Amino acid sequence: MRNPSTPVVAGAVGGVLVLLAAVFFTFVVPVDWMVALYDQLDTSLLSAALRLTVPIAFAAIGGIFAEKSGVINIGLEGLLIVSAFTSIAVAWALQEPMGAQTAAWIGFTVAVLASTLFAGLFAVVTIRYEADQIIAGLAVWLVALGVGPFASQIVWESVNSPAVPTLGNLVVPGLVEIPVLGPAVFDSNPTVYMMLGAVPLSWYVINRTAFGRWMRASGENPKALDTAGVNVGRVRYASVLLSGLFSGIGGAGLALGQVGQFIGSGQTMVSGRGWIGITAYLMGNYNPVGAFLSSFLFAGLNALQIRVQQIAELDIPPSLVQMLPFVAVIVVLAIVGKTRIPDAAGDHYESGDD
Amino acid sequence: MSADDAEDASGSRSIPEWSESAASRIITASAKERIFISFAAFVASILVGSVLVYLSGLVVACEGTSLFFGSCYDPFQVYYYLFVDPFIGGFNVALVMKEAVLLLFTGLSVAVAFRAGLFNIGSQGQLVVGGLASALAVLFTAPLAPGGVAGTLVLVPLALVVGATFGGVFAAIPGALKAYADANEVITTIMLNFVAANLAFFLVGTYFQDPNSGSVETRSIPAYSQLEPILPFFEGAPFSVVALVLGLGLVGGLYYLLANTAFGYDLRTSGVQPAAADYGGVAAKRLVVSSMTLSGALAGIGGAVYVLMVMGRYRTGVPALGFDGITVSILAGNNPLGVVPSALLFGVMKAGSLSIDFSLGVPKQLVGVLRGLVILFVAMPEFFRMLARYTSFGPDERTVAADGGDGDA
Repeated sequence: MRNPSTPVVAGAVGGVLVLLAAVFFTFVVPVDWMVALYDQLDTSLLSAALRLTVPIAFAAIGGIFAEKSGVINIGLEGLLIVSAFTSIAVAWALQEPMGAQTAAWIGFTVAVLASTLFAGLFAVVTIRYEADQIIAGLAVWLVALGVGPFASQIVWESVNSPAVPTLGNLVVPGLVEIPVLGPAVFDSNPTVYMMLGAVPLSWYVINRTAFGRWMRASGENPKALDTAGVNVGRVRYASVLLSGLFSGIGGAGLALGQVGQFIGSGQTMVSGRGWIGITAYLMGNYNPVGAFLSSFLFAGLNALQIRVQQIAELDIPPSLVQMLPFVAVIVVLAIVGKTRIPDAAGDHYESGDD
Repeated sequence: MSADDAEDASGSRSIPEWSESAASRIITASAKERIFISFAAFVASILVGSVLVYLSGLVVACEGTSLFFGSCYDPFQVYYYLFVDPFIGGFNVALVMKEAVLLLFTGLSVAVAFRAGLFNIGSQGQLVVGGLASALAVLFTAPLAPGGVAGTLVLVPLALVVGATFGGVFAAIPGALKAYADANEVITTIMLNFVAANLAFFLVGTYFQDPNSGSVETRSIPAYSQLEPILPFFEGAPFSVVALVLGLGLVGGLYYLLANTAFGYDLRTSGVQPAAADYGGVAAKRLVVSSMTLSGALAGIGGAVYVLMVMGRYRTGVPALGFDGITVSILAGNNPLGVVPSALLFGVMKAGSLSIDFSLGVPKQLVGVLRGLVILFVAMPEFFRMLARYTSFGPDERTVAADGGDGDA
């Protein structure tokens, strides 16, 4: 079931990215810039990269659950938008009576529920009403892209919200003393720990539990699963809801773990992270660990990009560096190319017995 | 289920095949059924939109005494301003026409890719690239070209050709990546939208900035190279009949291309049944690249028209015409002729969104919501089939059964 060439592909991708970076820094960016850039590689960059990984990795994990079960959920971007908006709206509304931190946690929870509900709608549309998964996924994205700014206008009379306090960092005593890794990882936003926990957990669920087995069967050979007496529809509903749950954590993690505001202009604050998440799990070959590492790669590039903008002596136009993560996604997609997606993914399954 | 089984038989499935199977299912529906689905999807979106508007009206605070069942927003009034108000007065009609004409180009762009089994979500980026290139082309050749009418006759076609070329080349990138590297075009085109926006911002801001302007934009192109309203009825609004004629000409041309040429036949076959097209001798990879290029060229012309007719220069922050084009195309059943009423409908809504915002205080972003809802409902024909079965409206059962309705009629 697992593609034997995964390490080779991952290695090749890594190699090419390193090569591209080498070419970029040798010919495009002069050597003294590299020194300035090297100074940026510190623990706070690592910590920023981890924070930026949260929305991408959670979207990626969510996407794995849905697609493994046979439902391609390309609406992850939309789920992130819905969750990001809801988390800020609730946290903003409750911060007066409840205090900022309590309000933020309630906002976080409600946002995950909202995203799960929205994913449930997508599930009904694709499973019950046999909608085309790709078009329905695009619709989920476009509906969220419309509802986010619309609702923002209704609540705040602007497409952007006022600032809201983010979830406070959680310091793990003892572990934070570890050099380099300690301050980068163990003095982090709670959503970072959630991510570090969710990666092995989802790997375990997919590969070592009965539900994981059903899920994979539902994506590879639904008829066999049906014959074995397991309800394919129910497995798919559960998997799509899980993709909503994970994306919900990702979107709320972006809004309340990082930005502290809802930004609804243009492509909203999510700005492509859901799509990058899809690329991350394709690159990670549907393995949560691989997906996390790929997400970290894209997020690391983004963190570096943000850093580079702040180095005054470099004076690189920000719009040029901002392109970097998006170009990287295209390069990765071109290299990863044909991945082996679950056999029945994208197809509606109808049980013979109704 | 039979249709799905047939697809399974084609062996190993891959990401690129997502779109092929998806496109084929929509294309194979009969024309009558497609019109019914589009109509029903639109009505359903309007209904869901009314609920949203009503609920939003409960949240916002308003001074008014005439509440609609406790809500500040009266859905009937909102839809009056959205659909009827845009037709009152020449200026309003011209605004409708301006939006509709622009949507003709992006709608056609998405439609032609869709017919080839490709999702071009990147019309937005192609429009940006084509628009910027055409503005720059006019700015740089204007000093060499004659003025007056002769200048118009030189510069306008030049802008359109440059826009088409750059939009086409920009779309050829995801086309080639899909054909030769199996990179999923949904994601690459979306990423390229971001790249296009950033690239345009960088180029204009760094090299082509209008020194007398506070916003990031190029200098304005000469007046004689702009598409001005010719008919006095539309005076004052950025709408040109020339652009409308051009758009309708492309509709006709594309319809002819798809229906009556070998290229069109290959393109349609690839969209419906890629394996059969391959067997029939279609050079599949080259067709992917050429249909994406054609799609991008149409979006690029849209960008050029946006520059020539609306802005008179390139300014960053181009409205989401490309995303609207997706809905226009899907509502039109991806048929070039269907794009005309579909673009008109969306043109009305885009113009109407300004009046609901101005007159009623309802955010104009409502149209963005409807744009998504329409796609959602068009994607679920089964919903309307079930509805039709209960209500005995809609297409007759035979059409339903013919479309893989599983014999439960």
